[in-house]
Amino acid sequence: MMPDENVAGNVEDFPVGSHKVIKIGKREIGVFNVDGAFYALPNICPHQVGPLCQGKVSGTLVANKDTNWKRTWDREGEILACPWHRLEFNIKTGECLAYPEVKIRSYNVKIEEGKVKVW
Amino acid sequence: MGKRESLQDMVVVDLDVHVNDTPTELAPYMDMPWRKSLEHLKNVPWRYLSIPGYSPNFAENIPLWPGGNDRMNVDSPAQMKKELSAIHVDIAILFPDHLLGIPVLPQKEYAAALARAYNAWILDKWCDKEEGLKGLIMVAPQDPEDGAREIEKYKNEEGIVGVYLPCTGLDTLWGHVKYDPIFAAAESAGLPVLLHAATTLVPHFPFNLHQYETFFAQHSFVHSFSMMANMLKMIETGVPVRFPNIKICFTESGVSWVPFIMMRLDKEYVENRRDIPFLEHPPSYYVKKFFYATQPIEEPDNPKHLVQLIEMFEGETQTMFASDWPHHDFDHPREVFNLPFSEEVRRNIMGENALRFFDIDSVGRRNKFKIETNTTK
Repeated sequence: MMPDENVAGNVEDFPVGSHKVIKIGKREIGVFNVDGAFYALPNICPHQVGPLCQGKVSGTLVANKDTNWKRTWDREGEILACPWHRLEFNIKTGECLAYPEVKIRSYNVKIEEGKVKVW
Repeated sequence: MGKRESLQDMVVVDLDVHVNDTPTELAPYMDMPWRKSLEHLKNVPWRYLSIPGYSPNFAENIPLWPGGNDRMNVDSPAQMKKELSAIHVDIAILFPDHLLGIPVLPQKEYAAALARAYNAWILDKWCDKEEGLKGLIMVAPQDPEDGAREIEKYKNEEGIVGVYLPCTGLDTLWGHVKYDPIFAAAESAGLPVLLHAATTLVPHFPFNLHQYETFFAQHSFVHSFSMMANMLKMIETGVPVRFPNIKICFTESGVSWVPFIMMRLDKEYVENRRDIPFLEHPPSYYVKKFFYATQPIEEPDNPKHLVQLIEMFEGETQTMFASDWPHHDFDHPREVFNLPFSEEVRRNIMGENALRFFDIDSVGRRNKFKIETNTTK
């Protein structure tokens, strides 16, 4: 349970394209600024409980009928890869790219008076 | 309690039997100038899976020992029917003997001509000549475009139920995009494809068998490593996604490797999914959709272990009996029949799965034609 809003930091601490792991109580939470929109995910990978949000943010490869089966680079800045085994997650939704049925929780984030608040 | 079912009470489909495709048999069906070569081979002594210029196996560098089944050829549909009836097989899928080795032939035009001759011959001399004898269109990997044309040519023959993808000493594994025309043709024709290897000592992966100095060792690896290598190539290039309607069967490798490769690929997928972005599911999803022929069926001390291995890849609907008649390592149907399956699973594996795989009825008629015949009359 994390009912209360918690201040993750000042907005200027999270420039566009950046992310960092903050601690709220016993929880480690990754806060992401994707093109000015904020997202927060637990710093635990469901695979082998690695520190997921310490991973790199990048894009991913897509190939399907629409791309004529050619590999294309997609969703730059929206994909988080776990530093342990590179399992990829969609930052905006918490969805795991390899296992679509796996979705990690997303925390709520809002900006108020120059502060990034997470709950 | 009712009487336990016996082999005679169910349809038994045999996924893998072999016909004796000698050069002399094929010569009349061969295009010139290659017919001259096959006619010449009449004068060249031949041995099992070893004919110079036709079926070179490059593996005759180890001592041979007496014992076992010396006669490993079947020369006529009548002989095949008689021998298969004795082991309760109702429907059998015909594979070649010597041309199992077609991938090692370096001349593209010659290999393609051989495949064409085989296809014309199998249809003319074998398919449906006795009830339940069904053929496959052989495609030469050396010439994918010609293979696609062969599928197009024979796809509506009642006696043809699938496409044979030869794997013996295959240099470019099935799944490489150069073979796309073959997969596209098979998918469009609604015909399943079946992979089959044989022993050879050419150095192409996964055939580094020259490392081994006994047939025990060479033969232990040859088939299952070939199937694993080709399956991995097909998953790597997204064949089951790009051609979602093709049914693919892996033969002559038993089944115990399937849980291994399924788990191995899923493990790798966690880290390297981006390399194969066209997969919509983990590799195990596709491995479970493939089909597997039983021979050489493993014989663990505890037969329940084999049933469990099949359960691991949800193989109750994907596993199909095969004997490999008349080869030295054939399995009698009772080896599979006697495994501790439920009655339903036993019926499925002995024949029902194969009827669905080939879309044929219990005497080997293609369901597709029955529907078309009904609508046109």
